[in-house]
Amino acid sequence: MPRFDTLNAAWMVWEDPAPAPEGVILEYRRELDKFLGEIERRAFRMAQVALRDPDDAMDVVQDTMLKLARSYSARPSSEWRPLFYRILENGIRDLQRRRSVRKRFMTWLPGAKEDPDNEAQDPLDNVADSAPAIPEILMQGQAMQQLEVSLRALPTRQREAFMLRNFEGLDVAETATAMGCSEGSVKTHYSRAVHTLREQLVGVW
Amino acid sequence: MNEQPPEHGLDTIEERSRALFHDSVEGLDFALRSRLTQARNAAVEAASARRRPWIFRIGTWTPAAGVTAAAVLGVFLWLGSPLGHHAVTVADGQSTFEDLEIVASVDEATGDAMDMLQDDFEFYDWADKAAVSGAATSG
Repeated sequence: MPRFDTLNAAWMVWEDPAPAPEGVILEYRRELDKFLGEIERRAFRMAQVALRDPDDAMDVVQDTMLKLARSYSARPSSEWRPLFYRILENGIRDLQRRRSVRKRFMTWLPGAKEDPDNEAQDPLDNVADSAPAIPEILMQGQAMQQLEVSLRALPTRQREAFMLRNFEGLDVAETATAMGCSEGSVKTHYSRAVHTLREQLVGVW
Repeated sequence: MNEQPPEHGLDTIEERSRALFHDSVEGLDFALRSRLTQARNAAVEAASARRRPWIFRIGTWTPAAGVTAAAVLGVFLWLGSPLGHHAVTVADGQSTFEDLEIVASVDEATGDAMDMLQDDFEFYDWADKAAVSGAATSG
């Protein structure tokens, strides 16, 4: 079987009827499955850090996988990672925006309770609010819990830059693609995030 | 590049936070991993379905084709065949409505409309033929 840089290219230029295109499809499936398998757990944790709710995080990751598969899988596989995170970050932002609108609407209603998603709450409240995640938090320990609280307190762009660069290992150019901004902005956001986290966490750790 | 092993005793905030994050990723429970696997399988299936030759995607269109065929058949039966000999119905819809009006109406003097139909059956038979011949000559 001839080798191609990407299986997508192989599919596009396929001319030889033997072996059957089904073989290319199978190899393409394996490549996409491998990519998503490598990335899915980190993506889920990043979404969970941003959204706090594991179900919301799972929904966003599922949507991201489907959108990548349906809309961008024809792109070279080397582009999948930044595209995946771009879709993921957009999904997280959309969900946060919907929560914000819902919270604003709820405050108008008489007798409305305080929204548990309030970002400015005491860190101890986070433990009580995210009941399904308690075993996970206990397992990760106090340090990870403190890190999550500090990451959530960062401005969105700084948090994105820090997690994509530091947790996912994207380079500056890939991070810029994922965030939809310039490489200079990525450097600025990342630097500010590190500075803020250092101030908040060095004394605690 | 991405799968750095957890390190402890790290100096910088980046290294320490990265190690903690990867520890937490490794600590995801089985249920969450299972759900992620299901989501991945669905995505892979969706992607490969788009890449199959059209012959493999016929099944995807079967429900839509069935609904369309049923709708066409329904319209066909409702209006009647444009190829048949329903000249009265198609060409002279007005007379059809008049006939229906007569059938539906109740004449106080004569009682039931159906009785009137039976009494004047020959007249309506003649009127029907006259309408057909009229439509044929005008057409």
